[in-house]
Amino acid sequence: MRRPPLAAALTAALLAGAGCGNSDVDVLATRETRLAAALADTGSAGRPVARWILPPDLAEISGLALTPDGRLFAHNDESSLITELDYRRGAVIKQFYVGKQNLVGDFEGLACVGDRFFLLSSNGKLYEFAEGAAQERVDYTEHDTRLGKECEFESVAYDSTANALILACKNVKSKRLESMLVFYRYDLDATGEAGVSEFTIPFAEAIGGNDWKQLHPTDLTVDPFSGNYVLVAAPEKAFLSITPAGAVVFSRPLSGRHPQSEGIAITRDGILIISDESVNAAATITLYRWPRGAV
Amino acid sequence: MGFFRRLIDFFTLGSDHPVRRLLAYYLVLAAVVGVLIYFFPVFDKVIGSAQIDAATTGPQVLEDGLKSGTIRGFDAELSPRLEFTLSTLIILMGTLVLMLPVSWVYMSTRYNKGHDQQVAQTLIFLPLVVAGVVLVVQNSLALAFSLAGVVAAVRFRTTLRDTRDVVFIFLAIAVGFAAGVQTLIVAALVSVVFNFVLILTWRYDFGRSVLTPTAVSEWGAPLEELAGSRAGKNVSDRDLVLALDQKQALALAERFARVRRLLGPQGHKPRYNAVLTVTTEALSEAQAAIAEALDQVAGRWRLDEAVSNEGKPSELYYLVRIRKSMSRDDLLTAVRDRAADKITSADVQLSKTTDEHEDKS
Repeated sequence: MRRPPLAAALTAALLAGAGCGNSDVDVLATRETRLAAALADTGSAGRPVARWILPPDLAEISGLALTPDGRLFAHNDESSLITELDYRRGAVIKQFYVGKQNLVGDFEGLACVGDRFFLLSSNGKLYEFAEGAAQERVDYTEHDTRLGKECEFESVAYDSTANALILACKNVKSKRLESMLVFYRYDLDATGEAGVSEFTIPFAEAIGGNDWKQLHPTDLTVDPFSGNYVLVAAPEKAFLSITPAGAVVFSRPLSGRHPQSEGIAITRDGILIISDESVNAAATITLYRWPRGAV
Repeated sequence: MGFFRRLIDFFTLGSDHPVRRLLAYYLVLAAVVGVLIYFFPVFDKVIGSAQIDAATTGPQVLEDGLKSGTIRGFDAELSPRLEFTLSTLIILMGTLVLMLPVSWVYMSTRYNKGHDQQVAQTLIFLPLVVAGVVLVVQNSLALAFSLAGVVAAVRFRTTLRDTRDVVFIFLAIAVGFAAGVQTLIVAALVSVVFNFVLILTWRYDFGRSVLTPTAVSEWGAPLEELAGSRAGKNVSDRDLVLALDQKQALALAERFARVRRLLGPQGHKPRYNAVLTVTTEALSEAQAAIAEALDQVAGRWRLDEAVSNEGKPSELYYLVRIRKSMSRDDLLTAVRDRAADKITSADVQLSKTTDEHEDKS
């Protein structure tokens, strides 16, 4: 009877075939090489150089932030789970929680200031915390900007030039601001109301030649090369850049597959990262080349 | 199923040993799933490997959303409706193939009282329903409360014969839950470990008090005799005989004794060539009428046994040698002519099994 070796070999071959494949390390190395090649390819302007499908716990990814050493962090909309992503290789590095207890809220933006993180809720409250280890729960300090009655917020970024957090208003609650694109600077050196300043841009100016009625910024970042504020607005699928003085640099539709762009970041090595919430598909982050000159 | 059975036979070399067949089943299943995952990575997501990856300490590699030719799961390539339909289908099919061996093990190991067919069927249906419910509820607290309210309105009052059957029901629920939350790999492990542990505890009679005689020690000898040292002469399936309980073994032994009397001593021409079975409400009147009929058509006959049943017709068993000029139908006709108003039914079993038919009068 010669069948046992045959049967065992067949089974082993099937199982081995099913289980074999590149190791994660090889996959990550290959991806990094591919990304570098795509970034170097001058003919790929405007096309994404990478897109990573995010895990289910980032389905409602709502904000992106880069640390000074270039690491990317993201957070989910309703939970205080902070996730570090390796955007070059497409991997989740670690996750940690804000608050010893489950901190629940409508979190809309994330910013890094040195080794401090600021999580913004839609009512204008800022939660300051330090980076945690994997699965750690870190303490936080709450700052109330008292701007919740003026605006519903969905984006925050750190402007190192002004040492201030820039908060973009998604929905204006005040009548005097209803035709304006509104920003607040939250000065990290000052305390109290004296530390908050406002600047506005008329919608007509910000919209330019586009056919949008309004603008509802869903995230903003500071261009590390020009210092300009770069915004995305998911409802309008808008993509615009303004100077810190309030002049519009460009205002155009956001091209590519971005069903619900909720986060934006620009790295110091010239990569534009846009995150999209899960809408009829998994949440993603998409990487583009970003010109290193002033935009 | 025929192909699957042949495949399992191939791996087990046709062995009926339950452990071997179970092992072969799971190996074939693992191979099939492995091939499916290799060619359709979407299966990996449904069986729950992602959750296992998340539990590891290494970086979680994200799916590549741009790589051409990569199957990136339902999320990226299929519409949500199709995704949900397919994943639900995979989950339900997965539940089914994982519960089939559990039901086989259940039927095999219920050797004392015989298995309950309702439980065996429940083991197949229940996890499908549980998986469906969990898929619907998912993380919705509101749906969970609604479900609790609906279930509270339905009263289940089924009493299981054997408390051990409850464990099977729990297992069915566990497998259904695991499948419902898209961790079929957990369901598979539960199914595999449960089946092998159960079959081994059954095989070695785990937990038996050494002071209590086992069923084997009490019935081993008569069963061995029934099964026959002349293997295969009395009963074709020796394992089947040894799996009988006391009542079943006695009933089978009585039938064998009757057949032996029918055939007569070995090497001799059988004294009888048929068994006449009659059921009647009027025992003595029927006996007299049947005796007249048998005198007419049988060369030799004798009443082998009369069984009285409370609340049911009594049974009469006759060993008969039908005359060469007579047929089975002649015998039944004669019995009906003489005793039609006194008997409920009559049946003749000839020594040729192909001629076995029942005649209800």
